[in-house]
Amino acid sequence: MPRRRPTGFALLALLLGANTFAGMVTVEVKTTAGINAADAVIVFDPLDATPPPSHDKAIIDQVNKQYVPRVTVVRTGTEITFPNSDRIRHQVYSFSKPNKFTLKLYAGSPPTPVVFDKAGLVVLGCNIHDHMVAFVGVVDSPYFVKTPASGSAALTMPAGRYRLRVWHPNEIDAAPPREIAISAEPMTIPLVIDVQGASTTVAAWPE
Amino acid sequence: MALRTRIALTFLLLLAAVLAAALLAVSETNRRNVERDAGLRLDAGTQAFARLLDSNRRQLTHAAHAVAADYGFRDAVSTNDTDTLVSVLENSGTRIGAAMVVLTSLDGEVLAASGSQFTPGMRFPLPPVRMDSVDGDNASGFIVDNGRIYQLVAVQVSSPLPVAWIAMGFELDAAAARELAGITGLNVTLSVNARGRRADTVSTVPVEAIRRDDVVTRRIELSQSNDTEIAAVLSRSLAEARAPFESLTRALFLIAAISLVAFALAAFWLARNITRPLQDLTRAVDRMRDGSYDVTLGVQRPDELGVLAEGLQLMQSAVHSRDRSIRRLAYEDTLTGLMNRTAFGASLGEALAGAEGARIAVAVINLHRFRRINEHLGYSVGDAVLIKMAQRLAAVPSVQSAVARLAADQFAAFARLQDADSLQAWGTSLLVALEGPVFVEAQPIDITATLGLALAAAGAVSADELMRCADLALERARREKRPLALYEAALNPAAPDQLSLLGELRHAVEHDELRLFFQPKIELSTLRVVGAEVLLRWQHPTRGLLGPAAFIPFAEQTGFIRKLTRWTLNRAIAEAARWQRAGKPLALAVNISADDLGDARLDSRIAGMLTQHQLPPPLLTLEITESGFIEDPTRALALLDAIAALGVNLSIDDFGTGYSSLSHLARMPVHEVKIDRSFVQGLESDLEFAPVVRSAIDMGHGLGLKVVAEGIETEAAALRLRNMGCDIAQGHLYAMPMPLEAFETWLEGRVRVPVIAVPVDFPVEDLADTVNLAAY
Repeated sequence: MPRRRPTGFALLALLLGANTFAGMVTVEVKTTAGINAADAVIVFDPLDATPPPSHDKAIIDQVNKQYVPRVTVVRTGTEITFPNSDRIRHQVYSFSKPNKFTLKLYAGSPPTPVVFDKAGLVVLGCNIHDHMVAFVGVVDSPYFVKTPASGSAALTMPAGRYRLRVWHPNEIDAAPPREIAISAEPMTIPLVIDVQGASTTVAAWPE
Repeated sequence: MALRTRIALTFLLLLAAVLAAALLAVSETNRRNVERDAGLRLDAGTQAFARLLDSNRRQLTHAAHAVAADYGFRDAVSTNDTDTLVSVLENSGTRIGAAMVVLTSLDGEVLAASGSQFTPGMRFPLPPVRMDSVDGDNASGFIVDNGRIYQLVAVQVSSPLPVAWIAMGFELDAAAARELAGITGLNVTLSVNARGRRADTVSTVPVEAIRRDDVVTRRIELSQSNDTEIAAVLSRSLAEARAPFESLTRALFLIAAISLVAFALAAFWLARNITRPLQDLTRAVDRMRDGSYDVTLGVQRPDELGVLAEGLQLMQSAVHSRDRSIRRLAYEDTLTGLMNRTAFGASLGEALAGAEGARIAVAVINLHRFRRINEHLGYSVGDAVLIKMAQRLAAVPSVQSAVARLAADQFAAFARLQDADSLQAWGTSLLVALEGPVFVEAQPIDITATLGLALAAAGAVSADELMRCADLALERARREKRPLALYEAALNPAAPDQLSLLGELRHAVEHDELRLFFQPKIELSTLRVVGAEVLLRWQHPTRGLLGPAAFIPFAEQTGFIRKLTRWTLNRAIAEAARWQRAGKPLALAVNISADDLGDARLDSRIAGMLTQHQLPPPLLTLEITESGFIEDPTRALALLDAIAALGVNLSIDDFGTGYSSLSHLARMPVHEVKIDRSFVQGLESDLEFAPVVRSAIDMGHGLGLKVVAEGIETEAAALRLRNMGCDIAQGHLYAMPMPLEAFETWLEGRVRVPVIAVPVDFPVEDLADTVNLAAY
């Protein structure tokens, strides 16, 4: 988590540098039960401009036979490193079509990072620990955020038209993406998601 | 029913009843046990079946999980290449022995299939799979595919999140059913009811078998969807369940049959053991009843039967001794120990019946004057004399076993003789044995015996007849005062007819065949009628009119004369009374035989008749032969005195021929004497008789008696008699004996000697006895 924050800032700086009419957007995600929803992924796809490809790096650690973080959002082309903080070996695989790969059993640092170069949802698993699941949302847009435990997150982006996508692993009956205009004024977007889905299923990735 | 059979049957029936009850109870219990056992087995089997299926399911699920978790498999699934998928499914199926492997999307769309009729794109019937889903990632159920039944398990394929279902079906085929059957101990039938059409797919028994009545079944629904129903039917044959019990029942029946037979034999044996001695005893008692008392009861037992046998043995000897004493009383003379009359008769009868060719001689022995011994010396002396005489008689070798005492002073003996000539010698030997004085208390007592002898060829006559012959001979010997007389036919003219004659004579009295004839008595001096003698004739139905000689001697010998005399007296008195009532009294004379004087009640009988008919006694005269006094003059005289006291006249008949002494004559209360006809007839032919007749007449007159002559046939004789002083005459000269009517006619115009007679009343002791002649 501490490594992610610089990324956010870099992105923000980039956006601010390119467009001085940047607006600050706060999203507040609550479940239908009124609870703040964590791990919700909110993506603003700019409709007026094509963002440049990214060469970001990200890390998904393996701690106590869990992927940390469980949900990750990255820009297309991001290298993700899978360190193994457990004293046991882990395997990492993905049968997801966008980014299929396999890391053979290893301990400690993995031999190479994996480049996620196709947009879409990637489900990661460990061949020897079936319950280990991690989700990686790969998006082309640089404007996205994953909600913390408070369900509320803020980001800045140039004013303009965007396509708003909301995804949560356990969401059901997800609302389809919608267009939204972002002004230079700060704004708050309240979002309500239904997260009563079973833990063994995963919500469809809104393309 | 014989006791033996009854005892045996009773026990047999009891045993049969007990056995039947036991068998029934066992059968019933068996039946219930069979049902209960079958039910229990079925329940247990059903549980086991369910567990087996569940266990299968678990194993298969684990296996399916293993397949689903296989990385290579997941990798293959992720390729989404149908051919690859099918080959992977085949491979996986082979690995865990699943006949059918189907991969579906999470929605149930078939992605790939192996070993089934499903093809990609079809919908896999997931509802049944989900039906008993236990976990989120696996499910199980049953499915029919291509007519086969599969136990289906489905697990999710995760990579790592669920992406698909892999369903693996294991066919429940005949081998599986057999295995299930083997473990559950039940017959297993799996049936499918698809769209109302029922099919028994797999069964370990012929399907008809489970539809029978003696099968118990449990049905387990394995799967039920809208149009398909899969069920397992577990069945158990009652017959099979019954088999062990049936062998037990058979064994019981066998035991029952054997025990019945054994018991029957034992019961019969036991019953026989009881009844055989009873039969022995019965036979012994039968023999005793027949008079055999030497029966030895062969029953020697320590039980009740033995006691009974012992009791019977004692009873036998007691009965025997009593029988002996009764026989002694019945057949033995208690004083002398000789046979009595009955025994002698029987013994003689046996001898007569059995002595072929031999002749049987019978002697009837009378002790002379024995009565006097009793009277003068006392009965004890008399008894002693009798005993001595019996001993003497019994000592005669020829008569040892056949000596009897018949009456007070009468003995009898019989012997087998080879010829008739030795009869006299045998009789003499008896006399010799008996002669000689008998000493009683050192006092010599002279006693003589008189013997009547009779001889018969064996089988010719009865014992009774032979003894009567001997009796007749004895009578003659006594009459003739000889020590011994032989029976001769002359003694009994009608000998062959004797018995029938007696019967006829009785018949004659009862049927009024006897007739009274009357012969008048004429007073010689005046020729007036003084009375008549009543004579008896027999109007025999076949032989015509018989004179007295034809039946009177016989009647005297047999004792029937007394009845005849009573009959005659009664009729004569009745006639005389009739005349008396008619005013024409006439005295009637009735003959009394010597035997009649033995009737001690003769006087009272006569008195009774006189009273009954109201006849003055002087109109009745009794004519008595001299021989009547011989036997017991004292008694005879007493009787005559009594009769004379009634006022009845007495006359001595056959005067001059008898043996009576003049002293007796003088003492007798008679009114007249009747000179024997032999004198009168001699008077007519031989003049030498005249003095004898005259003396007799004079003697009569000398004794103060009237003298009557009978048998007068000529005037000359009548004249002589009148000259000799004879008072009254009787004979053909005057009149033959005539029947009543003829006599009454004859009397007409005759002058009678007037009679003044008045009826006299006598005390009558026994009137009925005198008149009831028909009873003889």
